[in-house]
Formats: sequence, C-alpha cells, structure tokens
Amino acid sequence: MNVGQQIINGLVLGHSFALVAIGWTVLLGVARLVNFAHGQMYMLGAFVTWAAIAEFGLPYMLAVPFSMVVGIMVGFLMQQVLLRLTLKQDLVSIMIVTLGFGHVLHGVAALVFGSTGQILDTPFSTKNVYYGDLWFTWQDVAIVMVAVIVFIALKTVLEKSRLGRIARMVAEDPKLALLGGIDVRKVYFGVFAFEGAAVALAGAVIGPRTPILTSMGFDEVIMTFVVVVLGGIGSVWGSYLAGISLGLFTAFFGALVSPAYTTPAAFLVLIAVLVLRPGGLAAKPGGH
Amino acid sequence: MSPVLELADLSVRYGGNRVLDIGALSLGQGEVVGVVGANGAGKSTLVNAALGWSRGAAKVSGRIALCGRDISRMPVQKRVGEGLCLIPEGKLIFGTMTVEENLAEGEDEPGDGRRTYGVDDVYALFPRLKERRGHLGSQLSGGERQMLGIGRALRLAPLALLLDEPSIGLAPKLVVTVLETVRELCADGLSVLLVEQNVKAAIAVVDRMILLERGRIVLEGPAAEMKDNPRIAEAYLGAQKR
Repeated sequence: MNVGQQIINGLVLGHSFALVAIGWTVLLGVARLVNFAHGQMYMLGAFVTWAAIAEFGLPYMLAVPFSMVVGIMVGFLMQQVLLRLTLKQDLVSIMIVTLGFGHVLHGVAALVFGSTGQILDTPFSTKNVYYGDLWFTWQDVAIVMVAVIVFIALKTVLEKSRLGRIARMVAEDPKLALLGGIDVRKVYFGVFAFEGAAVALAGAVIGPRTPILTSMGFDEVIMTFVVVVLGGIGSVWGSYLAGISLGLFTAFFGALVSPAYTTPAAFLVLIAVLVLRPGGLAAKPGGH
Repeated sequence: MSPVLELADLSVRYGGNRVLDIGALSLGQGEVVGVVGANGAGKSTLVNAALGWSRGAAKVSGRIALCGRDISRMPVQKRVGEGLCLIPEGKLIFGTMTVEENLAEGEDEPGDGRRTYGVDDVYALFPRLKERRGHLGSQLSGGERQMLGIGRALRLAPLALLLDEPSIGLAPKLVVTVLETVRELCADGLSVLLVEQNVKAAIAVVDRMILLERGRIVLEGPAAEMKDNPRIAEAYLGAQKR
C-alpha cells in the first residue's frame, strides 16, 4: 500500500465530504431542519455545470456560479413549499416532503439530461500532477482549496458578521429572535438558499472527479448525514474535521479491506462515536 | 393626546378554551400600568397577545393600536419594529452569545422621533452589564439576565414595553433596583405594561393597576387607591403564600 497516496486520496475525499455537507451543517445548525433532497441537489449542481459547459458553451469558471444560482433558486422553491412545516418545526413531515422532492428532482433531471452518464471535463480535471510515486489532479487541488475557503468564510460570517449573529439567534431560539424584531422567515429562506448554492458548488467542483449520473445523490446524502452528525450538529469546524476524518478512514479502509464495505464501516464508526461522545466529535465529552 | 397602547376586545383562545377576554385597556405616554392576579389569571397571556407572540398555539383576536395606528394584523417582528417590545418571562436572552452580542441588534435610527438607546446608554443604566460584556448570557445571574433583557428591548427604541414578571427568581434588593430603573425609563417617556406577582414591589412604581381573574379585568384604578383594596390584598397574600 502506498501510504502517501492514500493520505492524498483521503484528504481529497475528506474535503469532498466536508464540502457536500456544509449546506446541511448550516441547515441543521441554524434552522434545525433536514433536507433529504440534498443528494439530488448535489447531482443537479453537477449536471447544470455540465450543461452550462457542454450545451451553452460557458467556460467552467462561469458555469460554476451559474450552477450556484440555479441551486439558490431550487433552495428558495423548496423553502416556499416547506414554509408552513418549517415554522411548525414539523421534522417528520419535512423529512418525507424533502425525500419526495429528491425523487422529483431525480425524475426531472433524468428527463432533461437523460439517463446516461456524462463526463464533466474542466480545465483542471485533465491536468495531472506527479510527485515521486504520488499522483493527483489540479481538480483535486481545487476541491481542497474551495472547501477550505468556504469553511473559513462560513466560520467568519457566522462569528463576525451581523448576518451570522442573526443566524445564531434564530438557531438558539427562533421565538426569542422574533422579539428582537428579526424576520425569522427571511432567515429560513436565506439558509435554504445558502444550502442550495453550497451543494451546487460542491457538485460543480467534485463532479469532475467521476462520471456523473442523474441517479447519483443517495450515497452523498448518507455520507453528509454521517459527517454532520459525527462533527456535532451545527458545528462548522466539527463538520470539517469529521469530513477529513471520514475521507482518510474511507481511503485507508478501501485500500486495506475493500472499497465495497466503506459505507457500513463508516456507519460503524458513527455508532461508536455517538455512543462515546453523543454530541459528536466537536462536542465536549458527555454530549450536548 | 391618544394613548401609546390601546387594546380593545382582546381575546385569546387555546383550542376551544377562551383564556383571555379584555374589553379595553390603554397605556398613556410615560405611564406604568401594573397587571396583577393569581397564577393562571392570564397576565402573561395578556402581554404576549398584545404583541401577537406565543410559545404555544394561541389564537388571538381583537384590536391593538400603537400611537393610534392599528397593528393587529402585523407580524410580531413588524410590531417590534413599530416600537412595541416584550421582555418575556423565563428565557429572555441568548445564552450562547455574549452580553455585547445580545445588545448588538438595535434600532439606532428609527426615524420617527423615538428615543433611541445605544449600547453605551444601556451600560450607563446597568454598569454591571459593562463589567460582564464579554461573558456569555448563560453565565449571567438572574438579575443580570433581567438587566440584559431590558437592555435588549431598549436597544429597539420602544414606545411601549411589555414586561413579564421581572422579579421572578431575583433577590428582594434586585427587584427594587430593576423596578426603579423601569420607573426612571418612564420618566423619559417610555410606557410600560408591567406584569408582576410581587404586588408590594410593583405598587410602589406603577401609576395604575389592574387585577385579572380568569382572563378578565375585575378591578382597575390608580395605584394609591388600589393599595388598600381588599381584593388586591387577597391577590398579594395569595402570591406570598406560594
């Protein structure tokens, strides 16, 4: 086993997990909501980027923000449909509705983009870097850089800006936030829009690593769930660390045992961590 | 001059049960009106309903006017923006945020001649909060939380303040301090509807007092007259026996 290569694979995979999960981290942390259409929104982000390049001839650097705008629109649409349930914090109904929304997105994407796989080529995905017996692409570098930038930006906004302060108020107590004159509905819309943009960005940046299919999304939402819960619900650094840890674990487990069993193994780790630290990796021992 | 706050035919229902039925209640500029009554009389329901706010599923009907303007159909955050603020009983600050962050949101330029309170004004009113500015809300004592709750509301440049049971859990000396501060604010023109179980402390600072029983006003009058009223004494003694 090439340990150095597995570390690189693990870090790239880990940053991918973290980047896919960041929208969910905010959604769950701020709005106490879940979105099981998250994986299909990731798929849509990848396909919209592909279509922007292949069909409309946009350069990759413009296709990415285009995809994010579409992601924001999807997020807005979802929140419009869910608003009543959101304000009631009716989690069971929200789970079912978002699962349904995911299937609708899958169906619409298959209708529009077809069921065959596509390759999302970018100026970075075809350029390899060799360093001794180590190998990666510039797209891998882009994944790591984008993930780091997005996490630092999110952490900074949440802790240093007025927007972040309002989001944290709503996260702690939406009813009390209302008494501060805060329009909680707008915050919920903003959170869904951020989730849509962030997951579309993830699809646009991570999609080029593998062929993209309209049927993808289920694995991504499962891994997102593991990352967010493992990191401690709502914890930005927790999600980042959980993503990296899960990436390294998946890479080494795949190399040492078999890639076929990485998802069950990841859930075993999740169960073990939650038994020992109920609040996730970022929480103090003892849980919440 | 029209009252700052007017409530007319205010009714609150939980499911099929009517828990509040107020014919008319008004609050003049710079006036403190005390609302007293036994547990479950509807005191908190009254101030929550005036703002259209509830942690439960209350159905509110009636007319609520602020400085003559009907705000009954406005959502909570709009009413707050208009200058009607509530300091609820229980959780009244953000525990995961520092004192400074709790005070950061405010109306610095409401644009309609309303008295504004900057963060420094709040610190001048409650110097203890300045000393604790970097502490989390969850690390504050009950009295400090109450001060911070009032400070948070003042930052929103209120015309009328709905204050729900500020004395709960406070040492007697602190109760006096908090209520005297409220009185000082009213001297500056603020109007306050004060829900209070500690009738003895409240009667010293209010201009008028109303007694609620089973969601209805059963007695109303100037503080000086209400002081010796046997029904008030009964309510007061009831509170002391708890």
